[in-house]
Amino acid sequence: MSSGTFKAPLSRRGLLRAGAASAALAGVGGLASACSSGSSSGSSGSKLLNVAIFTDQASADKMAKAAGTFEAAHPGVKVKFTGTTGTDWNDFFSKLLTQMSAGNAPDIACVATEGLQLFAAKGLAEPLDDYVKRDATELKPYFADVHPALVEAMMYQGHLYELPTDFNAGNMFYNTSLFNSVGVDRPADDWTRDDFYDIAKKISAKGGNAVGYDWVVRLWGSWTSWMYANGGNLLTEGKWDGGDWLWNTFYPNDPAAAGRKGGWRWGDPTANSAPVVESLDYLIQLQKEGLSPKPDVGGGTTLQGLFSSNKIGMAIGGGFWAGGLHNAGMADDAFDVQYFPKWQSQRHLFGSGGYGILKSSKNKDLAWEFVKTLVTPKNIDLLIPGNVTTPALKSMLTAERYATTGPKNWHVFYDTLTKLDDTAPIPAPPYYQAMAIALNKRTTQAMSTGKAKAALDGLQGDLETAAKTG
Amino acid sequence: MSQPVRSLGRASAPAGARPGRPPQPPADDATALRRRAQSRRGRREALFGYAMVASALVVVVVFTVAPIVASFVLALFRWDGISSPQFVGLDNFDALLGDNAVTHSLLVTSGLAVMIVFLQVALGLGLALMVAQRASKIVRNLFRAAFFLPMLASAASISIVMAYVFNDQFGVINYYLGLLHLPEVSWLSSTGGATATIVLVAVWQQLGFTFILFVAALGSLPGDVLEAAQIDGASSARLFWRIKLPLISPTVLFASTVGLINTMQLFDQPYVMTKGGPGDSTYTTVLLVYQTAFQNLQFGYASAISVLLFAVLLVITAVQFTTSRKWVFYS
Repeated sequence: MSSGTFKAPLSRRGLLRAGAASAALAGVGGLASACSSGSSSGSSGSKLLNVAIFTDQASADKMAKAAGTFEAAHPGVKVKFTGTTGTDWNDFFSKLLTQMSAGNAPDIACVATEGLQLFAAKGLAEPLDDYVKRDATELKPYFADVHPALVEAMMYQGHLYELPTDFNAGNMFYNTSLFNSVGVDRPADDWTRDDFYDIAKKISAKGGNAVGYDWVVRLWGSWTSWMYANGGNLLTEGKWDGGDWLWNTFYPNDPAAAGRKGGWRWGDPTANSAPVVESLDYLIQLQKEGLSPKPDVGGGTTLQGLFSSNKIGMAIGGGFWAGGLHNAGMADDAFDVQYFPKWQSQRHLFGSGGYGILKSSKNKDLAWEFVKTLVTPKNIDLLIPGNVTTPALKSMLTAERYATTGPKNWHVFYDTLTKLDDTAPIPAPPYYQAMAIALNKRTTQAMSTGKAKAALDGLQGDLETAAKTG
Repeated sequence: MSQPVRSLGRASAPAGARPGRPPQPPADDATALRRRAQSRRGRREALFGYAMVASALVVVVVFTVAPIVASFVLALFRWDGISSPQFVGLDNFDALLGDNAVTHSLLVTSGLAVMIVFLQVALGLGLALMVAQRASKIVRNLFRAAFFLPMLASAASISIVMAYVFNDQFGVINYYLGLLHLPEVSWLSSTGGATATIVLVAVWQQLGFTFILFVAALGSLPGDVLEAAQIDGASSARLFWRIKLPLISPTVLFASTVGLINTMQLFDQPYVMTKGGPGDSTYTTVLLVYQTAFQNLQFGYASAISVLLFAVLLVITAVQFTTSRKWVFYS
C-alpha cells in the first residue's frame, strides 16, 4: 500500500471527526427513534397509543379514521394503527409475539379467536373485567346488540379479554350462475350433505374448468366445518367456570346466554376420533371423484379469486366473503349464501375478532377508553369498510349494508348465531400456533396420500405433544 | 501495509551541518528520532486503518458473530421470548435425539441439497462450456446476463411467482400441459411434485452463481495446454475430462461446498410455495427452526436445532475438503 493515502493528517482527523459526529448523530437519531416508537409517552406530555392489526399498512391507515373522534376528545393523544400482513393468523401472531419479545409491544391488538387463549394464557393480555364492571351502564347497549356466543368466545378462565367487533361463521357460498346453468335453485335452509353432493356433482359434470366445491387448508372454515357438522372436534369441548358477573349483568333473561360460562376450555385431543376421520375422508372422496380439487394452504384469497371467476360452484365462506367477492369484481347477485349443509347435525363453527389491551401497555386506562369507542357502530363501520367481515352488532346487519356487495340472503350471517343455537367457536387452545402448523401439515398429507386415518393419527400425536409443551 | 522502516541515517547523514541548514543532531540521535517519528506515524496509520474497518467490524460482530454466540448460549435455555429464560443445560440437545421431526427435516434437507447442488454444478458447468464456445462476444454476454438475472431477485418473491406458475388448479404449466392434451401434474400437492418443484426453482435461481464461477474458471485455462492437447489429437470429450475438468476442479469444489452450505439452509422456497408440505415432505430444517422459534415460541429448542445443523454442515464441509485431496488439482 502506498503511504501516500495517509499523507494529510488534517483531513484524516477531519474525517475521523466527521465519522465521530456521524456516529453521535446516528446514536441520537436512534435514541429519538426508540423513544418515539417504543414508548407511549412523548417528551411534550403527549401520549401515543399503538394498535396492532392483521392487515396491510394501507388498510391500517384507512382504519385510523376510527380514532378521529377519540383523538379530538383526548388532546395530546395520538393513535397509531400498524398493519402486519401474513398468510393466516398464525403468521400475524408470530410477528406480533416477536415484536413483543423485542420489547416493542403495542398497547392494543386486534386478536381473533385463533389467538385469544394464546395471548391470555401467556399473560400478555389484560383482563377487561374491572373496566367492564366499572362502565357496565355505558356498555349495556353494546352487549344487548352482541350475541352472547361471541362474547363467550372472548373469555378465558372466567375473564373477558376482548370486546368483539366482528365475526364470521362458516356458511356455504354458492355461485348463482353456475347453479342456474345446471338448473339448481337455492338450497333449502335444512339442506343435507346429500343435497350438497348432488349439486357438486352436477356442476363438476358440466365440463369446462368449473368444479362443484373447493376449500382451503386452515383451522377456520376448512374441512373442519364438515367435522363440526358431523359432530366431531379436534379437541374435547368444555367450559371454564366463572363469568357469572357478565351473564348476570348483561344477559340476565336472554335464553341465548343460558349455559354460558367463563370461556371455552379445550381439553384432550380427539383428532383421530371416528367423526373427525369420517369428515376428512369425505373431502378425500370428493377430490377422488373430481368434485373438488386439491386445496391450497392459506387464508382463502385465491379461493375467492377462483370463485369470482366462476370456477367454483360452492365454497365455505363467512360474511367477509361478501366484501371479498365484491372487491374481486363479482356482481352482488352473482353469488348467495346459505347455511352449511346438515350431516349428523347442522352445527356451524365461527371465529370472532376484537380488540384487547396488552398487559405491557403503560396506558391501560387510556387504551380502555379507546377500545370502548371502537365498538360503536360508527367506528366498526370505519374499521371494516365494504363488508370485509361481519359486524358483531346485530343491528348493523341491514339490507342497506349489503345492497352494494350482496349477498341477497345476508341475514344468514347473524341467523347462524341466533337460529342455530349449537354454533360454536373454532377450537383454538393456548397452543394454537403449534396446532395450526400440525393441522396444515396433516391435512395436506391426507389429501396427498388419500389416507385420512394415518394423517389424523399423526395429528393426534402432534396435538398431544403441543398440549404438553404448551 | 507499509514497508518496514530501513535505517538511512548512518549512510546518508553527514556529521556536520551543511551551509544554510540548522545544526543537525548526532547521527544516532537522528536515527532514533526518525524511528520514533516513523513508529508514531505507523501507529497513527494503523489506528486509522482500524477506525476505517471498525464500522464494518461492528456490523459483522453485531449481526453475525453475536447471533451465532447467542444461539449457542440460547440452546442451553428454555425461553418463550416473553418470560425469563430458564437454564436447562443440555436438555434441549437431549430432546433433539428423540425428535423425529428433526431427523426427518435433516433427511429432507439433505436430499434436496444433494439434488440441487448436483444440478447446479452440472448445469452451471454445461452452460458455461456452451457459452464459452460462442464466438460472438455479444451472444456470450447476453447468455451471461440471462443466466445470472434470476440471482438478482429475492428468493421469496420468485417463490411467490412460482407458486402461481406451478399451481395445480390455475398454474401456467398445467394450462399448457392441458393444451397439449397431457395430464396435469400435482406440482405442489403431491410429495414428488412438491420436491421436484422446489428443486427446479432453487436450481433455476441459483444457477447464475455456479455459471459465473465456471465461466471465469474456463476463461482462465492455459491456452498452450489446450492447444497442445488439440495438436496431439485429443477429442472434445477427452479434452474436457482429462484437461479442462481437472484444471477447474478447485472451482467445482468451491461451487459444491458453497452450494451445499446454502441449500442445507433452504427456507424461502418451501416456506412460500409448500409450507413444508404436502405433509412434511418438503419440511426443511431451517423451516423447522423458524416455526419452532417464532410460531411455537421455543427459542431455546430452535437454537439447539440450529447448533445441530451447524455441526452437520461442519462435518459435511470437512468431509468434502478431506475427500477433495483425491480429485482436486491445484497445480
